[in-house]
Amino acid sequence: MLDVHLDRWLRDFGPRGHESVEADSVEHLLDALEARYPRLRFRIRDETGQIRRYVRVFVDGEDVSATTGVTTPLTGARTIDILHSVAGG
Amino acid sequence: MTERDRAVRILVGTRKGAYVVTGDPKRQRWKVGPVAHGGKDVFQVAADPRHPGELYAAVNSDFWGPSVQKSRDWGKRWREVATPLTPLAKDRKNPFEEDPAHPSPRPLRNLWRFEPGLPEEPEVLYLGADPHLLFRSRDRGASWEPIDAINKHPDHEKWSPGAGGACLHTILVDPRDPQRLYVGMSAVGTFRSEDGGLHWSPKNRGVETPFLPERFPETGQCVHHVVADAADPDTFYRQDHGGMYVSHDRMDRWVRIGKPLGDDFGFCVASAPTAPGRAFFVRLDGEARTTGEGHFQVHEWNDRKRTWRKLLSPKEFPGHFGVHREGIATDALETPGIYVGTTTGQLFVSPDTGESWQLVPYGFPGIHSVQVASPTAG
Repeated sequence: MLDVHLDRWLRDFGPRGHESVEADSVEHLLDALEARYPRLRFRIRDETGQIRRYVRVFVDGEDVSATTGVTTPLTGARTIDILHSVAGG
Repeated sequence: MTERDRAVRILVGTRKGAYVVTGDPKRQRWKVGPVAHGGKDVFQVAADPRHPGELYAAVNSDFWGPSVQKSRDWGKRWREVATPLTPLAKDRKNPFEEDPAHPSPRPLRNLWRFEPGLPEEPEVLYLGADPHLLFRSRDRGASWEPIDAINKHPDHEKWSPGAGGACLHTILVDPRDPQRLYVGMSAVGTFRSEDGGLHWSPKNRGVETPFLPERFPETGQCVHHVVADAADPDTFYRQDHGGMYVSHDRMDRWVRIGKPLGDDFGFCVASAPTAPGRAFFVRLDGEARTTGEGHFQVHEWNDRKRTWRKLLSPKEFPGHFGVHREGIATDALETPGIYVGTTTGQLFVSPDTGESWQLVPYGFPGIHSVQVASPTAG
């Protein structure tokens, strides 16, 4: 079971704080979260299925957003952080 | 009509949220609030005059994407309604799911413009978005249908964005015929449809493109904003990257009117329901993109006399002000008011069509857009 820490800004779309999710890839993790919170759909990923430009997904502390992205396997992973990137002004 | 019904409401979209500013009928005293969508880019807050109290906000976020927000109580409470292409899962299927092997290469980037339909079609709304997308709702924003003659236009991939993106920012409905529609897109130009959006023709003849090798191409113009004349639905006023223009024939031909001003660059233009034959432009320095000569200024075009009038003296509000394409609006009172929001957060008000000006005593975030919901004259 993965311990998923979600950005507090995402509370507008349903999830708050931590979630426990079972998934074997980032894609399936996001699918599961969106099934649990339908309004989360298209907030972390755009409608092409890719992670939004200013969203960061960390797997056990490693940022996979701009590398393997949604295809990242989660076998053996324990913690996921989904956060907004440091951007804006 | 009660005093409350006679309120004039300025709807302000900013870089950091939406503001409703309420004033008395004399437009002398202003109260700021409610405030909503803090931290998000609100490109437009639109009132639906057919349903008093109903507002729509084009709320955009670089982090979490765009969303359509709706209020039924003049902005006190908001809720997300179906955003095109990103519907609430329980409501609609994503059109791109029809072919999951070929998802859209162009994700919805920003929402730009709501335009209510005519009074006789009270459930209809239009919405323009980036990248070059047009939608229609037939149920007051609960769901949206794509207008594919624009969204899947054969030249869609060739259309270039302006600095603000590939925005479809102007939507106009002929008040005599809901089938006659006009849109403006950056940097593509204006188009007209005579059949409710099934077919579109480019309407840019006469508009120069100083940024392209060809001087008068059929498309490629960076139109910034267009409004219709209050009394003559065949007449339009246009602020283009290439200057200020008027058309008297449903956009078949455009005539440049801004040359007497020298630099006739700018982003915004407005007309007023009770000021037929007149249009209001905020002229900017074409390079600095701020008001020229170091002071706030608005110019009035009198289309009947074919003359310009500068509405402010240089001494009144010194400074270099930026104004975006939706940055000027008017009300519908007998002596129309003019409202201008700046990219540095000032909100200017003239209650007497430019004879006198005041600043709303409030520091807003950078203002993207200003619209006004007011009682109508008479």
